[in-house]
Amino acid sequence: MTDVTLVVNGEEKTASVPPETTLLKMLRENMDLTGAKLGCDVGDCGACTVLLDGLAVNACLVLAGQAEGKEVLTIEGLSTLEKYHPIQKAFEDVAALQCGFCGPGMIIATKALIDQGEDLTRQEIKDALSGNLCRCTGYTKIIEGVVDAYEEITGKKMPETKPRAA
Amino acid sequence: MKPFDFIQPATTDAAISALAEHSPNVRILCGGTDYIVELKHVTQSPGVVVDISRLQDLKGIEVTDSGLRIGAAVTHTEIMTHPLIKEHAPAMIDAAHTVGAVQTRNLGTLGGNLVTCVPSMDSGPTLLALDAEVTILGPKGSRKLLLSEFFVFVRKTALEPDELLLEIIIPNESLGKPTGFIKFGLRKGQALALVNAASSFRIEDGKFKNVRIALGAVAPVVVRATEAEAILEGKMVSEGLIAEAAKVAVAEASPIDDFRASKEYRNDLIEVGARRTLLAALAAANG
Repeated sequence: MTDVTLVVNGEEKTASVPPETTLLKMLRENMDLTGAKLGCDVGDCGACTVLLDGLAVNACLVLAGQAEGKEVLTIEGLSTLEKYHPIQKAFEDVAALQCGFCGPGMIIATKALIDQGEDLTRQEIKDALSGNLCRCTGYTKIIEGVVDAYEEITGKKMPETKPRAA
Repeated sequence: MKPFDFIQPATTDAAISALAEHSPNVRILCGGTDYIVELKHVTQSPGVVVDISRLQDLKGIEVTDSGLRIGAAVTHTEIMTHPLIKEHAPAMIDAAHTVGAVQTRNLGTLGGNLVTCVPSMDSGPTLLALDAEVTILGPKGSRKLLLSEFFVFVRKTALEPDELLLEIIIPNESLGKPTGFIKFGLRKGQALALVNAASSFRIEDGKFKNVRIALGAVAPVVVRATEAEAILEGKMVSEGLIAEAAKVAVAEASPIDDFRASKEYRNDLIEVGARRTLLAALAAANG
């Protein structure tokens, strides 16, 4: 067994898991954090995206032992039901999601992008979310949600471009 | 995944000892974007998995006496954002940007991309066009190889089971060398290369010098198109000659037919890729 101690959503947690356990499996099965989803399990779909020391990673491609001593943020750490994070509020306002399975990964990947503090274009948003697949929406409203969240959080204005042209 | 033992050595020496002790039932894990996927599909346990992702000796990007040194465990994201890469080998940024997606680039490493040694690797062509070298560490010490000697076959490198890749070095004479990179995929994100290419040269007295044309996903390993290079070498710079060299490059590759693209389509992409990367290098040379 591998003993893993890490900070999850601001709280120190410890688990003892077999070495072949992924970070995703440990979060979901040992820590009851089922927000990050098991989708493709090979790093293509992004449904398991969490922040590892501030960087968006696929939790299905990290062994639990590799996260020893690191900080993890999952969708559960972003907000409470009473008070949404601005990204979640923006996604809700534009109805960015349909079934919602990709949502936690999309929102965490969006947070990583906005946290970088750079001026963004629609093309850069598409680039940053290219590792997050959505099979419902066709992405248009998700990108609208990211634009709104970016403007709300940073106070900046996205350059006017037609969604199709970006 | 099949059960295995997991070791996180604190030093490079400890990692080498662990490899020697458990060889051949031992595998190296770093970024994991390829190897953990493999672990999920194998039917036999690898035995011992040695995680080298935290070794300080494998980190960092710096200019040394021999050139620009990039630790094998440097991630694609670090390459994309490092000022020394931007200054000395900016085409590496274009190549790193085409790897997977943000999540893959945050975990995946340059060394991992080379060691995995798939023909469609995105880092290979640019590094080959810059005459990159690698340093390998093993129980008997370190050895240096040209990257072209490091690639042996599909998923096969010159690494012995008890060795690990320490660093990649862009030699001094390649720093700042005008270089172009291109990748053709079915999508911009999360796509393997159908063909990728990188070209570089210097211009001296109006003539092409040290021309390199490297092609990926068109042979068992990333290859140089040496006959196409020879067409340009020492000749007066001209776009017409570039177009001619790009045509010749096609004959030097042996692309496969598969579900991603036909051999004929890949051959067309080789010509277009060689031409565009040479023109990009020309544009870079002209500042």
